[in-house]
Order: sequence, then structure tokens, then C-alpha cells
Amino acid sequence: MVSETNKNLGDKNEPDLRGTFASVMFVLAFIVISWFGVLGIFLSR
Amino acid sequence: MHLHKFEKIWLVFGIGSLVLFMVILGYGAFWKGTHPQSHGQIIDPNNVEAYDAFKPENLGVNKVDEKRYVINVVASAFNYDLGTDKDGNAVKTIRIPKGSNVLFQVTSPDVVHGFNIAGTNVNMMIEPGYVSKMETVLNNPGEYTIVCNEYCGVGHHLMFGTLEVYE
Repeated sequence: MVSETNKNLGDKNEPDLRGTFASVMFVLAFIVISWFGVLGIFLSR
Repeated sequence: MHLHKFEKIWLVFGIGSLVLFMVILGYGAFWKGTHPQSHGQIIDPNNVEAYDAFKPENLGVNKVDEKRYVINVVASAFNYDLGTDKDGNAVKTIRIPKGSNVLFQVTSPDVVHGFNIAGTNVNMMIEPGYVSKMETVLNNPGEYTIVCNEYCGVGHHLMFGTLEVYE
């Protein structure tokens, strides 16, 4: 019972990073898409 | 040290992309031999004609073989010397058949210039005392403007030429 309370408390202290994670993945997607875009331009010229 | 699960994921992506870009850079440099266009080949900027390619009669388009060309250019403030035509007029437009392999050799007797054929991958910095070379295959027909993209003085904007790739 005691350990369960502690566990719940621990979960509550963990920050919610879902929004941050989504933003990071958005930046990652932007970098990867631009990189392949530039490579495509280079190869087609 | 405690790391959030999401932090671990984006750290892996971040460090992973750094490693990936370093590998791509190394592959380009060591396996493909990519390097700056002025690759340590030095000439006397006060006497560029001492170098065969930049003798007046060798400037402009030189056909070496079927679909193989060498284009020699002296870039100076504020002009690209592309040689003269048979009437003795300065050439401003060079014509190359589509699909040709072209080696550009450019130098400068005065200041730093640029040699960019807008819309192609040909883009070099032209430094006095160095021969900048770039080999390319011109596959897309059209008219391209050769521009100086390094500020070289008051007439910088007047420095241009034309490259025509025809069918």
C-alpha cells in the first residue's frame, strides 16, 4: 500500500513531455525533408 | 541520472544525426574526393597567360572530343573573358550541346570573384593565384546566366555571361 502511494507520487512528479516530444519530432521531420529536398535538387541539375 | 523516456528518444535521434552527417561528410571527402574547387593549384596572378589554359587563344569553349568540352575563363573586375569570336568581338554567350561533359577552368588576375551558372551545380569561388576547376555534365537544355556571386567591387552587378545548352 505504501509502495503503491510512492509510485503514484513518482508518476505525478514526472513532467509531461508529450508536447515537447511532438515539437522535437516536428523539427526532425523538417530537417530530414529539407535535406533530401536539397539532395534531390543537387542530383537533378 | 534520471532521463525521461522521451528525452532518451530525442537524444538518440540528435546524436544519431550528428554521426550520420559526419559519415556522409567523410564519405564525400575521402571516398568521392570532394574538395573546394581551387584545389591548391597555384599560378602567378600577374601573369595568368603563363598557364596554357589562359592564353588568349585558349579562352572560351574548347572542344576536346565528341561531347567533351573544356571552358577556360579569366574572371576579372568586371568581366568574364570568354575569348573572342572570328570577327574579334568578345564572346558573351557560350553554347554547349546537351549531355556534354564540361570542365570549367577559371582564374582571376585581381580580386576574389564568383563563378555561378545559375540553375546548375556549377558554383565556384575564383581566387587570384589559384585555378578553380569543376567538371560537370550539362543535361538540361536552356539558357543559363553566369553570375559573379562574390562582391568584387563597384561593377560587380555588371559581371555576367550566358551559357546556352542546346538540344
